[in-house]
Amino acid sequence: MIHRLLATLCFAFLFGAAAGAEPFVQGGPIGSQTPDGYNALGPVVKQPIEFPHYRHARDMGINCMYCHTGARRGYVSVIPRIDKCIGCHQNIESVRNKPRIKKLFEYWDKKQPIPWKKVNDLPDYVRFNHERHIQRFYFRQNRPVREVCGYCHGDVANMTVDRRVKALSMGWCISCHQKDHKESDTNMKTSHGPGECWQCHK
Amino acid sequence: MSDSGINRRDFLKVLGLGGSSLALTGCGNTDIRSGDEIIMPNVQPEDFVVPGLSVFYASTCTQCGSACGVMGRVREGRVLKMEGNPESKISGGKICGLGQAAVQVQYNPDRLTQPMMRVGDSLQPVSWDKAMALLEEKTGPKSGINGNEFAFMTGAMSGHLKVLVQNYLDSLGSRNHFVYEALSPAVSFAANKQIYGVDMPRLHFDKAKLILSFGSDFLGTGASPVHFAKEYAKFRKAPRGTLIQIEPKMTMTGANADRWIPIIPGTEGVLALGVANQLLKHGDFSKTVPADIVNLVGKYDPDTVSSITSVRSDLISHLAGLLWEKSPSLVISGASVEGHVHGVQNASAIQILNRILGNVGKTVDGQAQSPFPQLAPATGSFASLKAMNDGMGAGTYKAVFVYGANPVFTTPSFMGFRDNLRKVPFKVAFVNAIDETAEECDLVLPIYTAVEDFGSHVAWYQPEGVEITMQQPLMDKLYSDTRSMGDIMLDLVKQRRADEYKAWPNFFSYLKTAVTNIKPAVKYTDTDEHFWYDTLSHGVIHVDAPQQQIAENFSTDMLDLPTTVTSPDPKFPFYLIPSERHYFRDGRHANCGWLQESPDPLTTVVWDSWAEIHPKTAASMGIHEGDYLEVSSQNGTIKVKAYLFPGIHPDAISIPLGQGHESLGRFAKGVGVNPFKILNPVFEKNTGELAMFGTRVSVKRTGQSEIVVKDEGPVSTQMGRKLVVTLPADVAQLSKEI
Amino acid sequence: MSITNLLNNWSFYRQKRPYRGQYDLNRQYSEYKWAMALDLDICTGCNACTTACYAENNLPVVGKERFKHGHVMHWIRIERYWDENMGEFPEQGASFLPMMCQQCEEAPCETVCPVGATSHTNDGLNSQNYHRCVGSRYCSVNCPYKVRYFNYWNYPSTAWPAPLPDQLNPDVTVRTKGIMEKCTFCVQRLNEAKSRARTEYRLVRDGEVVPACVQACPTSAITFGNIVDPKSKVAMMWKNQQVDLYKDMQEKDNSVRGYRILEDLRPFPSVMYLERVRDMEA
Repeated sequence: MIHRLLATLCFAFLFGAAAGAEPFVQGGPIGSQTPDGYNALGPVVKQPIEFPHYRHARDMGINCMYCHTGARRGYVSVIPRIDKCIGCHQNIESVRNKPRIKKLFEYWDKKQPIPWKKVNDLPDYVRFNHERHIQRFYFRQNRPVREVCGYCHGDVANMTVDRRVKALSMGWCISCHQKDHKESDTNMKTSHGPGECWQCHK
Repeated sequence: MSDSGINRRDFLKVLGLGGSSLALTGCGNTDIRSGDEIIMPNVQPEDFVVPGLSVFYASTCTQCGSACGVMGRVREGRVLKMEGNPESKISGGKICGLGQAAVQVQYNPDRLTQPMMRVGDSLQPVSWDKAMALLEEKTGPKSGINGNEFAFMTGAMSGHLKVLVQNYLDSLGSRNHFVYEALSPAVSFAANKQIYGVDMPRLHFDKAKLILSFGSDFLGTGASPVHFAKEYAKFRKAPRGTLIQIEPKMTMTGANADRWIPIIPGTEGVLALGVANQLLKHGDFSKTVPADIVNLVGKYDPDTVSSITSVRSDLISHLAGLLWEKSPSLVISGASVEGHVHGVQNASAIQILNRILGNVGKTVDGQAQSPFPQLAPATGSFASLKAMNDGMGAGTYKAVFVYGANPVFTTPSFMGFRDNLRKVPFKVAFVNAIDETAEECDLVLPIYTAVEDFGSHVAWYQPEGVEITMQQPLMDKLYSDTRSMGDIMLDLVKQRRADEYKAWPNFFSYLKTAVTNIKPAVKYTDTDEHFWYDTLSHGVIHVDAPQQQIAENFSTDMLDLPTTVTSPDPKFPFYLIPSERHYFRDGRHANCGWLQESPDPLTTVVWDSWAEIHPKTAASMGIHEGDYLEVSSQNGTIKVKAYLFPGIHPDAISIPLGQGHESLGRFAKGVGVNPFKILNPVFEKNTGELAMFGTRVSVKRTGQSEIVVKDEGPVSTQMGRKLVVTLPADVAQLSKEI
Repeated sequence: MSITNLLNNWSFYRQKRPYRGQYDLNRQYSEYKWAMALDLDICTGCNACTTACYAENNLPVVGKERFKHGHVMHWIRIERYWDENMGEFPEQGASFLPMMCQQCEEAPCETVCPVGATSHTNDGLNSQNYHRCVGSRYCSVNCPYKVRYFNYWNYPSTAWPAPLPDQLNPDVTVRTKGIMEKCTFCVQRLNEAKSRARTEYRLVRDGEVVPACVQACPTSAITFGNIVDPKSKVAMMWKNQQVDLYKDMQEKDNSVRGYRILEDLRPFPSVMYLERVRDMEA
């Protein structure tokens, strides 16, 4: 039965869409999202603490990489260690008794990690290297951090908890890597193309 | 991989197209999940711990006695892989496969996770409180046990844990520390002690032009295989040294020899004297050797020696010629030489060659004298085992502890060790996984594995100075109900010596204090705290210690070897060679999938035992590969598959040790056979050591057969293809290489 | 990778390999070509490399039954050969041959994959895309070294009883049924090293990154490096041994030990072996 359904979909749209992934909320048919991923919207993810990015990144102007320290030096951007939060919040008396801060300190007092849910969860077989992208766009091209991180993660600075707003699919990544940039081994257009599977696939 | 409802076969079936359709599809957003997985941050890690980046911690490998310095790659709090620690003079940044398998010991699915207590016929899980209470009841101060009634069997131990164990025994007034190693170096130590005055001289493989090895598997199972492998690599570079191996069954080292010579087991000493006989024909040599030895050696003319050893007489003079030509040389011997009634004599006869050739001081000299003899390794001996076995049999002991040894598995049946152990009213085993010995015990305590614990180690082979290798946890304990052996011992010592040890709440603090005391010896000028952290981060403490001077004592009574052929027992015509595999050793790590699946270098057999038999012998008996053979000694029979192997003396049959477990876990249980069991009570006459190579067996076909699972294909030669090409040494120009 | 891209750049993608100058320090996307040199005279056959590979690359332990059927998954294996002219005894010992994917420049496996799952990377490795592989096994049929291993079974469900999955390397996919795999020269390590080097505005230094087998080998029989860098040990060794990556038959002296295996089949492998030496006078 599923074969027939699949056959219909495939012959109509020639896609390898499968059951089991979350649907897109708005935009055109499956897979028709524009390169900038406006039509891709992931589900709302409920986190243990509703962390307000807007308070920290927008109002206070804290650089994304102050907390997400791995982005500049490794593959993953890292969810910040609990003592990163405590480092500031132990000194901010004015919000010490707000409900979310209280929850934070509950975890801290028990020395328990906060079980965040992963929002930008690429499949296990993908090797995405934050370092290379941050190094190029932030450090060498000196673009503002919200633009650099926002290109893939959207306008997180205006969100509470993160929500995926871009496709983050292979086609979406390739759309950038196929632009008319100069020769490099990650540029799909000018490299030997199909051979660079190992850059991203583990 | 994506766990979508479609797999690729269905997909292709439906489309009826090949891969081009995949190229046509947009790379759909099918596999990104949001909110499915949990991502745990760290709470308060060290500054250098960044998720996604590896941290390397230095430690010591405890998989064998070499004490190689290693480092573990740790990601997100889990140790994933072991590498060599470049700071260690022993490992030099390299590691063997057995060391790699340390992570499999850590994540062993059959790991013991809770204390177990015997209830009736079986072991039941209990809490630590109950376990420690039972220990207190049976061996604590109020138990009334006196020192003679207590026995502690350990494997070879060194470092501060050894000191603590000995302190514990001291607190009980007991002298019964029985150190038992199934594959013990006691015979070689005895021979070396007699001749050189030290247990183990230092060998310089890289300085030798010729290594004449009588059965020494220094690349595989010797004193320090990783270190010797490094030296061997230097030995082979220009000017290339020559390796000659003489042994009854080809070891891994023998496979690398320029010349491999089979010999009747036990006659290596006679061959050595035969070579000495030829050497002494050269005027230079006979001048430096005492007259009585010259006389004794004179009896070993090539024909006599040939008839005893089965080595051709022209070969004997050829060997002498090579030794005379290539100097300095190095003559060494191994387990197959030592495991006989006259093992010490054999080893001594072989060392005489070093004396005659003037190698002492060149390729054989002394190790450094350790300023910390209390940390030196305690090595096992059969005498120790026998004393304990006899004591248990006589009902002397009320309590027995076992740590780092598995005697129920490794002792031959004739000893009746299991039955004797059952006579002891209270038996405790300290293990990571339940083995045959633990199955017999009343209390089995789960201890940390090597990667979870602190410790210090000193190897009995030190290539340069004295290296105390530190062991630190590479990760937090995997199971909450396990404890450090050091912590347990400290608690036990405190039962009677609470005041003396009250400054140390745990083994970590004890170790830290003890190690910090070493600071002056290495002339470290910074603070104690810095010394401790530096030591842990480097993983080793190098102590520059003066080299021991070695003696050269040879006397004729060391060389009491036969001059006639001994006729074989017609009922047991074959020589049994229980061979030591470099990753199995005495079988303690048989429960590692990687090691079981790692093909034996010589036979490429996996997941099994086998009996190596020479193809000619097999043909004469109608034996084919895979035929089950009944190998019987006077003390037991085992059934094992035949494997036709050209690298063995035609009158010998070789079965590897380490398999045949009845316990230990899913990868070890029921795999292979255990040749330890059928060894006969033959003992080396100087030391009383079990002569492991002195058992004679009969071999019978059973008529059954089964495929031998091995990595090599049906053909074991290159069939004319240029796969491994051999170049004669006189053609190769290694000096021009980089 | 769309079909249009493929067709437009067909001549660029499907050019004859290997061609001189493709790996060149001056060509921006080919500053690396990974190669190995393996000294058979000092390889002792100890199998440390194979075990290290199991640890690093999440290789499944297949068990006795499947090993019997030849479904073993060792990406690097040690072959043991006896001398053809052996008499009653192997008097010159045994010959050990560590065999792993030779990362051939003109790989016979690359041309026959029906879905294009295997191809050549810019740094000279033969890449295997697990996600694209459909399991035709044509590539392993073509491989003259037989270094490609197929997952006939769903090993993730049996090969790692808890807590063994904790040991798995997160940088390497755990392969499921129906996928071909092979030695990657530890590409995960290479990628990490290249990334680190690029952040520091430099190329990867000689010896900075090595595959697991090279790191473990107690005799240092394997040398690994970037053959484009003329000062790297491996480049100097290849030059010294007079082995040219781009030739299918080397012209060199008898006394020079370097050679490549099955070179006459013209796959242009990236692994050079040094002949084992034996003292014939012994």
